[in-house]
Amino acid sequence: MRWILFRRRLADIVALCFAGLATAFGLACLASILWTTISKGGAAIGPALFTEMTPPPGAEGGLANAFYGSAVMVLLALAIGTPIGLAAGVYLAEQGRHTRLAAAVRFVNDILLSAPSIVVGLFVYELVVRPSGHFSGFAGSLALAIILVPMVVRTSDEALRLVPDRMREAAFALGLPRWKVTARILMKAAMNGILTGVLLGLARIAGETAPLLFTALNNQFWSASLDRPLANVPVVIFQYAMSPYNQWHALAWAGALVLTAFVLALSLLVRLAARKGRHG
Amino acid sequence: MNHTLLAPAPASADEARAAKIDVRGLDFFYGASQALHAVDLAIPAGAVTAIIGPSGCGKSTLLRTLNRIYALYPEQRAQGSILIDGRDILAPGADLADLRRRVGMVFQKPTPFASSIRDNVGFALSHYERLPKAETADRIEDALRQAALWDEVKDKLGQSALALSGGQQQRLCIARTIAVRPEILLLDEPTSALDPIATARIEELIQELSDRFTIVIVTHNMQQAARVSHRTAFFHMGRLIEVDETARIFTNPRETRTQDYITGRYG
Repeated sequence: MRWILFRRRLADIVALCFAGLATAFGLACLASILWTTISKGGAAIGPALFTEMTPPPGAEGGLANAFYGSAVMVLLALAIGTPIGLAAGVYLAEQGRHTRLAAAVRFVNDILLSAPSIVVGLFVYELVVRPSGHFSGFAGSLALAIILVPMVVRTSDEALRLVPDRMREAAFALGLPRWKVTARILMKAAMNGILTGVLLGLARIAGETAPLLFTALNNQFWSASLDRPLANVPVVIFQYAMSPYNQWHALAWAGALVLTAFVLALSLLVRLAARKGRHG
Repeated sequence: MNHTLLAPAPASADEARAAKIDVRGLDFFYGASQALHAVDLAIPAGAVTAIIGPSGCGKSTLLRTLNRIYALYPEQRAQGSILIDGRDILAPGADLADLRRRVGMVFQKPTPFASSIRDNVGFALSHYERLPKAETADRIEDALRQAALWDEVKDKLGQSALALSGGQQQRLCIARTIAVRPEILLLDEPTSALDPIATARIEELIQELSDRFTIVIVTHNMQQAARVSHRTAFFHMGRLIEVDETARIFTNPRETRTQDYITGRYG
């Protein structure tokens, strides 16, 4: 009897140790990444970072054009991807709820969700870049939108399906048409979940590099045209980090720091939105 | 004098009144399993009809056919006919939006929408009627007064309906339903999620509303049926066992199964 108790306690202690070590390992990695980014990138943070263009080797400069390009492409991707994803999510959760088509679409969407982003980049390269003959910011936005869509579909579908059936019945029992029930009552009830999905998607596409390599490429100079290659933070980080120049290294770290801070801020915003939703 | 004695006298004044809802030979299926068997039931206008019976006897199912809310689920279907004012609502091509406007429903658990108290009541109203602002406000006030909620919420109409108590939310759902001026009110165990005080409020309210609406209430609480209804229908295993004046059902039922149920032998 004592032996069994001893064994149980031993197993408990060992399991706890492993769980603690695993947690410490994860946290240590995260802390190390954050610390490295802050200590190496912090030095280059200054007004010049946001006002000056990406410099040629050996010169001083900033990342203004890259920030601008990233912001424009991400916003455009959001503008393209959110309505499409939302519409598909609404179809899956409401109109198509009991249909086979919805089950099939949901399955395909899950595949798309886990598709490597570089494949999406290549797809848009074949679709837009090759026919048009040049890289462009628009192609970059399209690639990012394609990555965003399945995320929005999934989260809006799930958020809507979490709305209890009795809410749906109560709304239909008033004799309201389906579109009004969906748009004005169910989507309102699911708004927090949908918003969370869009914000998480935004955080994800803001840091995507691979799909932009084949689409927006990069631009050393200021260009506001979506029809031209467009500078963007992830690809600049990629190029500058691989270069032999110290100034470029510093700028890459600074860009990484800003990107990390942006994603962190978005995650906090998502948390805040979710908490506000719970308190109704 | 003589011939009136020979003719079968109407069992009650209610029965003599025209039926608002006339259910004939109604079968109901959830997929392959049958939940209602050949139900015939006449529900008179301007009275409260209670539907009682043990769990799973089909009482909620019957209620859900009367506004065809079951039609949201493709595997559920009804056969037979349900005449409301002489028109068969189960007939193909029946206008569900119009039906549901005329037949309002309040559910077991309060279902306020995630918006303000004012918008909860005004939403369906503004869908049906394009009214000037002041008149909409009057109609909202009127509905909230009828639901005995006005005095508690008149100073916070803009606040979220989700912040109200359970009993208040249920009265809000009643207000929301009567705001569009239906003819029939379906109440599906409307007090089962409420405390005794809130329950008493709702029962009082049902009494007040009974002269303006035809009310059908499903309840598992027999005292409640006895308190609020004029007529009671007893269901068992998907069949209508008996229907009569409430006083009669509770004092002198014809069927032994009814007798057993109301005396608590099963249920």
